[in-house]
Amino acid sequence: MIHIITAENRRNYHHALMEMHRQRKTVFIDQMKWRLQESAGIEIDAYDCPEAIYLIEAVAPRAAVTGSARLLRTDRPHLMGDHFPHLCDGPVPQGPEVWEATRFCPAPETPAGEARHDLLARLIAAIMETALIFGVERVTFVANAALAPLALRAGWEVEPLGTSKRAGRDRLTAMSAAIDQRGLRRVRARAGLNGPVTRFLGGDLLQAA
Amino acid sequence: MHARINWAFAEVCDRATSVEELHAAFMREIRALGFSYGACASHVDPLNPPAEAVMMVDYPLPWLERFSEKNYAKRDPVYWRARRQSLPFQWSDRVFRSGLGADQVRILNEAAEAGLGDGITIPIHAPDALPASCSLVIGPDGIDPLDAQKATWYGVYAHESARRLRLAALPAKPVLSPRERQCVQMLGQGKDDGAMAIILGLSEHTVHNIVRRTMGKYGVGSRVQAFVRALKDGQIRLEDVAP
Repeated sequence: MIHIITAENRRNYHHALMEMHRQRKTVFIDQMKWRLQESAGIEIDAYDCPEAIYLIEAVAPRAAVTGSARLLRTDRPHLMGDHFPHLCDGPVPQGPEVWEATRFCPAPETPAGEARHDLLARLIAAIMETALIFGVERVTFVANAALAPLALRAGWEVEPLGTSKRAGRDRLTAMSAAIDQRGLRRVRARAGLNGPVTRFLGGDLLQAA
Repeated sequence: MHARINWAFAEVCDRATSVEELHAAFMREIRALGFSYGACASHVDPLNPPAEAVMMVDYPLPWLERFSEKNYAKRDPVYWRARRQSLPFQWSDRVFRSGLGADQVRILNEAAEAGLGDGITIPIHAPDALPASCSLVIGPDGIDPLDAQKATWYGVYAHESARRLRLAALPAKPVLSPRERQCVQMLGQGKDDGAMAIILGLSEHTVHNIVRRTMGKYGVGSRVQAFVRALKDGQIRLEDVAP
């Protein structure tokens, strides 16, 4: 299951959040060689804040983290607005009904290929479910050459916001995905999911669980 | 954007008139973050610290006794690593664990048995202070990752404030005159009175007296000791004598 972690319930997820930051360090800094700030063995940046929403996959709140993603409001500072506006031909999509998804992170030991594609499909389903709960209509993200086709393959209705640009040895494309019930059904069908993948547990519920 | 720092803590530190008061405020703050134990301390024997040492420790007493008795301050891998880097590190981190000696791993295992399982250490470096660090043991509910940086700030602030209080209670450190500093620095560069006299354009006799005066200020009987004390006190800088 994928836990929706917000300012409201994050105090129950300290272990999972710490593990996510540790995995982000391993995946993005050690494996992918992104030039990100590292501190005490974790990767954490200026956009990590109580207001960010984290999607963390784990069979239980204290169980091993198998994947994660971060959702940022776009009416606050966010990556595309601050660092990648040049990837958008028009203005960067912003507003209370638009979220930005960043830091798609598989657990470092996730085998390449099918297992990673399935995880991404589940994370996409989770992003859509969460967006629907919060009444968000559009999710933007910056995709590298590897992520862009996978998002399409997962059944996500995405459109580029501009022409893709070279970044080092990679290519980056700003993407926008519409969020609606039909799209969610399609993503679930492609991923073989027959119901919601997310759980949104408040403090009291979590203790009972 | 990060979780806000409790600036009231800075005020409490600035106004504290005793290390005990400071220690209590520090523990309150770090417990609120979810840490179970804390040690903001100079790297010395915790039960027999020298007067200038900072020692705000609430580790279980049996562990402190063992640490003191076995003289672990010399081999503790946490102290070891803290001396060599400025970035905070976590004890469960593989990079930290790799390359430790068997006896150092044993210290970590014994600490874990004493209830000091996993934690983070914030190295503290100040040129004229004893090597120090702030170690915080992670409580059962974990720490909010956004609070990890706060802990760093609390640790460094608490240490600096405690040091200020400790130093205020000690006799003032000798201050060298510019000439004395020049001479003691040249001592470190291996110059004798004759060479110093030529460089400074003074008589050998005068140079000799300046060096004697410096030794007198530190109350030591040899030139080497005078040099070492001036270096330790920050009267001269290591990079000026060993470029």
